Amino acid sequence: MIPLGAYLMVSAALFVIGAFGALARKSAVAILIGLELMFNAALLNAVAFWRYLHPQGFDGTVFAIVILAVAAAEVAVGLALFIAVYRRFGTAEADEIALLRG
Amino acid sequence: MNSWTNHLLTLILFTPALGALVLWFLPSRPKVQRWAALVASLVPFVLTVVLWVNFDFQRAGEFQFIERYPWYDAIGAAYHVGVDGLSLVMVLLTTFLVPLAILASFSIQERVKAYMMLFLFLETGMLGVFLALDLLLFFVFWEIGLVPMFFLIFQWGSAKGERTVWPGFTLQARVYAAMKFMVYTMAGSLGLLLALQMLGLVTGSFDYLQVLERWNSISGPVLPNIPLYIPVSLVKKVAFWAFVVAFALKVPVWPFHTWLPDAHTEAPTAGSMILAGVLLKLGAYGFLRFVLPLYPAESQFYAPVLAFLAAMAALLGALAAWGQWDFKRLVAYSSINHMGFVVLAVAAAAKAAGTEHAVQALNGAVLQMFNHGLTAAGMFFLVGVLYDRAHTRNLKDFGGLFGTVPFYGGVLMFTAMASLGLPGLNSFVSEFLIVRGTWPVLPVFTAISLVGLLFTGAYILKGLKHALFGPLVEKWANLPDMTLREVLVIGPLMALMLLLGIWPLTLLDVIHRSMVALVNLLAG
Amino acid sequence: MTNELLLWLLPLPPLLAFALIVLFLNKSNKASHTVAILSVVLSWLGSMVLFLRALGIGAEALAEHPMHDSLVWLPGKTSLLRIGVYLDPLTAVTLFFVAWTIVMIFVYSVGYHNYGQPKGDHDEKGYPPHGATVEEHGHKHKVPSIEPMYARFFAFVSLFAFGMYLLVVSDNLLTLFAGWEIMGLCSFLLIGFWFKKESARAAAIKAFMTTRVGDVFMLLGIAYLYVATGSLAYTDVFNPEVLHQLAHSPAPVLGMSVAGFIGLLLFIGTVGKSAQWPLHVWLPDAMEGPTPVSAMIHAATMVSAGVYLIIRVFPLLHAAAEVPEFLSPMPIIAFIGAFTALFAATIAVAQNDIKRVLAYSTISQLGYMVAAVGIGAYVAAAFHLVTHAFFKALLFLGSGSVIHGMEHGVLHTGERIDPQNMYNMGGLRRKMPITFWTFLIGGFALAGFPVVTAGFWSKDEILGEAFAGHHMGVFWTLAVAALLTAFYTMRQITLTFLGEPRTEAAKHAHETPWTMTVPLMVLSVFAVGYGWVGVPKYFPVLGGLLPHWFQEWVGAVFHLYVKEEQAVSHSLVPLLVSILVSLGGLALGYVVYRGVTRADQPDPLARPLGPIFTLLKNKYYFDELYAFLFVRPAYWLAEVFTFRWLDRTVIDGILHAVARLSWNLGQFLRNYIDLPLINGFGDALGEGAKGFGRLFRAIQSGRVQHYMLVALAHVVAFLMLVYYYATMS
Repeated sequence: MIPLGAYLMVSAALFVIGAFGALARKSAVAILIGLELMFNAALLNAVAFWRYLHPQGFDGTVFAIVILAVAAAEVAVGLALFIAVYRRFGTAEADEIALLRG
Repeated sequence: MNSWTNHLLTLILFTPALGALVLWFLPSRPKVQRWAALVASLVPFVLTVVLWVNFDFQRAGEFQFIERYPWYDAIGAAYHVGVDGLSLVMVLLTTFLVPLAILASFSIQERVKAYMMLFLFLETGMLGVFLALDLLLFFVFWEIGLVPMFFLIFQWGSAKGERTVWPGFTLQARVYAAMKFMVYTMAGSLGLLLALQMLGLVTGSFDYLQVLERWNSISGPVLPNIPLYIPVSLVKKVAFWAFVVAFALKVPVWPFHTWLPDAHTEAPTAGSMILAGVLLKLGAYGFLRFVLPLYPAESQFYAPVLAFLAAMAALLGALAAWGQWDFKRLVAYSSINHMGFVVLAVAAAAKAAGTEHAVQALNGAVLQMFNHGLTAAGMFFLVGVLYDRAHTRNLKDFGGLFGTVPFYGGVLMFTAMASLGLPGLNSFVSEFLIVRGTWPVLPVFTAISLVGLLFTGAYILKGLKHALFGPLVEKWANLPDMTLREVLVIGPLMALMLLLGIWPLTLLDVIHRSMVALVNLLAG
Repeated sequence: MTNELLLWLLPLPPLLAFALIVLFLNKSNKASHTVAILSVVLSWLGSMVLFLRALGIGAEALAEHPMHDSLVWLPGKTSLLRIGVYLDPLTAVTLFFVAWTIVMIFVYSVGYHNYGQPKGDHDEKGYPPHGATVEEHGHKHKVPSIEPMYARFFAFVSLFAFGMYLLVVSDNLLTLFAGWEIMGLCSFLLIGFWFKKESARAAAIKAFMTTRVGDVFMLLGIAYLYVATGSLAYTDVFNPEVLHQLAHSPAPVLGMSVAGFIGLLLFIGTVGKSAQWPLHVWLPDAMEGPTPVSAMIHAATMVSAGVYLIIRVFPLLHAAAEVPEFLSPMPIIAFIGAFTALFAATIAVAQNDIKRVLAYSTISQLGYMVAAVGIGAYVAAAFHLVTHAFFKALLFLGSGSVIHGMEHGVLHTGERIDPQNMYNMGGLRRKMPITFWTFLIGGFALAGFPVVTAGFWSKDEILGEAFAGHHMGVFWTLAVAALLTAFYTMRQITLTFLGEPRTEAAKHAHETPWTMTVPLMVLSVFAVGYGWVGVPKYFPVLGGLLPHWFQEWVGAVFHLYVKEEQAVSHSLVPLLVSILVSLGGLALGYVVYRGVTRADQPDPLARPLGPIFTLLKNKYYFDELYAFLFVRPAYWLAEVFTFRWLDRTVIDGILHAVARLSWNLGQFLRNYIDLPLINGFGDALGEGAKGFGRLFRAIQSGRVQHYMLVALAHVVAFLMLVYYYATMS
């Protein structure tokens, strides 16, 4: 059986990649993708812990499903926002949109 | 009595204010405003006549036409109005003078609407003071009256002149006068408000009749309801002086009088008429309605002090009037002289509580209030008539007008003689009654006041001498005589002066009945 | 008509006339004087009817039951003040002379004010008429012109008559005072009738103010009487019980009884109105008014009112004098009267203005009456009051006639002289015979020419009473005054009528129209005839023939209150003295002044009397003295002390100081408390937050990825912290 640590390693790698993508990419869509990766890292973690530590309960699977739903909704809202932003500013570069700058 | 007369007092009280609101919606053309204001002020007069007719003179010492509605239950204040003989006379004076004053103000050309509205609000304020039977209500109306008068002086006062308050600080004369009037009276009201609230707290009610009953029956060394543990006698003394100062400022009694010559001189003619005719009476009314009944013992104790101030007012007022060259200021000072007699009578009545002397003195005082309302208003009006034509009030500028404007001369002579106290005209009766009432009680102060009476002659004659007599000043050779409108203003005043001089019982009967009640109340 | 109703109505016609003229008739001279004269004739008629009815009732009966009616006028707690009308024998005789003199004066005024003459060339209201130019027989000459304020004169003088009638018919002191003051007003108006003349204006003010000094005291006296008795009606006040009580209770001042003190206060009113020393100064100046007014004021009405008052209140004075514990006012009254009689007579000797001489003689004669009351001879005082009213009215009207005649001459000749100065006259007896003879009668009556004139009888009675009562000081003072009176009267007659005309104007003087001469003739009848009603019983030959009607008649009034004095021993000494001084004075006057032949001649007395004459001519400098002692200090007190100093400087100064203090306090609070502390604290709070924000705005880049990075850093830091603490424990 694959040990729990392996899952966690994969998950951590996934998360770091996602975080790097979210922080470093210019395109808003790419940031969104980064975020999605981080979500999935968390999902993987949840499923892995469930299977290894509390296999008799349902909480882990429920948690995973909620995360999936949230991620899906987030993508929908995020994309809608980007479309609106693109229409308003003519670009989807995150750095270009700095209206809240103090 | 039908339901209509049940609300007579409220009607009288608020029709002027209502009229003012109606004026607001009418077109601003001066002519419309003037006539509307006149009509609006005649309504309360007619209602007062109705009141007079329906008044039960046999019970003139009691309050009649009482109306009472809850207003501020939590602290025991109510909308409570009523008239006894004293208020009736004062209400009559007010509603009688205001239409005449409005008629006299037809010569006002600027901002007529605002002027007329203020005047009508002023009438409601003054009437409220005379009608209120609730201390809080009284105070509210007392203060309301100030505001319109302030603006009347401030906005429509005489255009010329300035006063230096201190080096480097000079004000326009009318601004100075308005401020002095306002600030001075407000300062007096402060103590009054505190004293009224104290009364309300201690007795648990602001209702005049209840306060009267409970306040005078307070026993025990310390005040109930106020956890301060102050001796009752001290509180009564302090509250007495708070009342006295507030009312003395308004009368005005020497040495609180210097606002008066300024305010009266700078106010527009009709404003002076009402100031002298009615506003001064508020103070004297306060003495009779509140100071005497609420503080009989203190009044008695301090009567000589009050009498001293009154005698000084009578004497120094006359002297100062004699020293004037501004005709209007001369008339203004004459008010101090005449009202000094009223306060002197009040002092005598307080000292000789319960006696015939007290009744006579108070009869004289109230009659003098009414009479002075007539004569002072008349004199101010006549000075105004002269000013409208000549645009000066300096007596040195006039001379010989008796030949040029004989009708005006006759009218002025008549009114001046009424003011001087010529027998056969009104003031004589009241002055005689006052002297009769005060002489046995306060002989020294009466004697001082009589010296003032001598100088009354001097200043009246000075005015007549310089205005009517002497060589004619060429400038005024073509001065027009009085117009019909002006005759209509002075005519009713003169008629009443004559009537009250010949047959004082017209008014004295009701005054006497209510004063007997008051004196009996004082005697306990 | 009942007596009472008639009494009520008596004063009203003149009042009505006044109102009618003022309101409606003032444009028509004819209507004005018609109404005025008609009104006084009506009052005269009423007075005569009442007088005759009173005669019918008889003195004793009328004194016991006077005509009396009253109604409630003022309320009181225990008593009501009633006013009403009253007629007893004293009222009746007063009414008699008042009615006659007033009618005569009214009729006279028509002529005096040149009714029927043309309007003046340059006349204006407020100045006496200056004359009009008319063309007659082809050449122009000046004639007197009608008074420009003709109607106004009749209005005022009617009101004056109303005042006097009101005073006489009053049953109480209050309405008496009303009439008294109304006359005061009228005298003010009429003395200042030519109001544009500075001198007339000043005289009017002076008259009103001087009498007002007396009036204020009198008002106090009336008020005190009202306090003490609860009534002012004669019938109540002069009740023996009331009088007794008043005379036995002490007044607060002067050691007098209440009765005496009230009497003194009322007497001060008389001093003012009847121009007694020291309040006499107004009366001579009052000559500024038209002459009928002088007659009205100085004979018929106003000054008589003062004497009438003290005779009226005599019971009070008498009661006060009866109680020895208290100071009596009577000696004061006697002193002032006698002093004034002599004092004014001396001044009259040195006056050249024909009216001024009469004015001082009036003061002097009033002094006689006052002195008579002071020694208790109230009947003699009343008698002299009546006779004096007649002959003094006659003299004033006569002098007016003289002046009128002189003015005619002045206008005719164009001379610039004073038509009132006696030195400019002379020889007028031929030009103005009626005036001369009537004036002579009046003058002799004034001088007390024995037996035939009324003045003799009344003056003799006063002297007789003074002598009989052992008031020798009063007696001799009055006797000397009588000598002077006769002297200056003859001086006046000699200078005016006798000798030759001393100026052109006097040569062209003219007898006056019938409206003026008829009243003179009527009055001269009384100036002679009225004496016969008062011939004393002890008088040789005549004494028994005629009853002393006046004594019985007026004496009856006070018999009710005044205990009859013990039978007076009558001596012939006063009678002889009286005859001697009268004839002596007249003779002396003629001898001294018949030698005056030029208008600019100095007075024959000027040299022998020296500085005393100057003193007399200047009226003992009383005007100057009063101006220095009272008038100017009072002005200073009023204008400088009270107004400028007390009101403007002290009281307003305090107010302004308070205002300034409040202002400065406000400035202090604003500058040192509000601005630095309160505002400072608030500002600091705001500024602090602002600075903090400025500090942190750097990290607010607006870039999403920055925020995420920061969030990540924080999460990491937080986790490390958690880890650190978790492992520590």
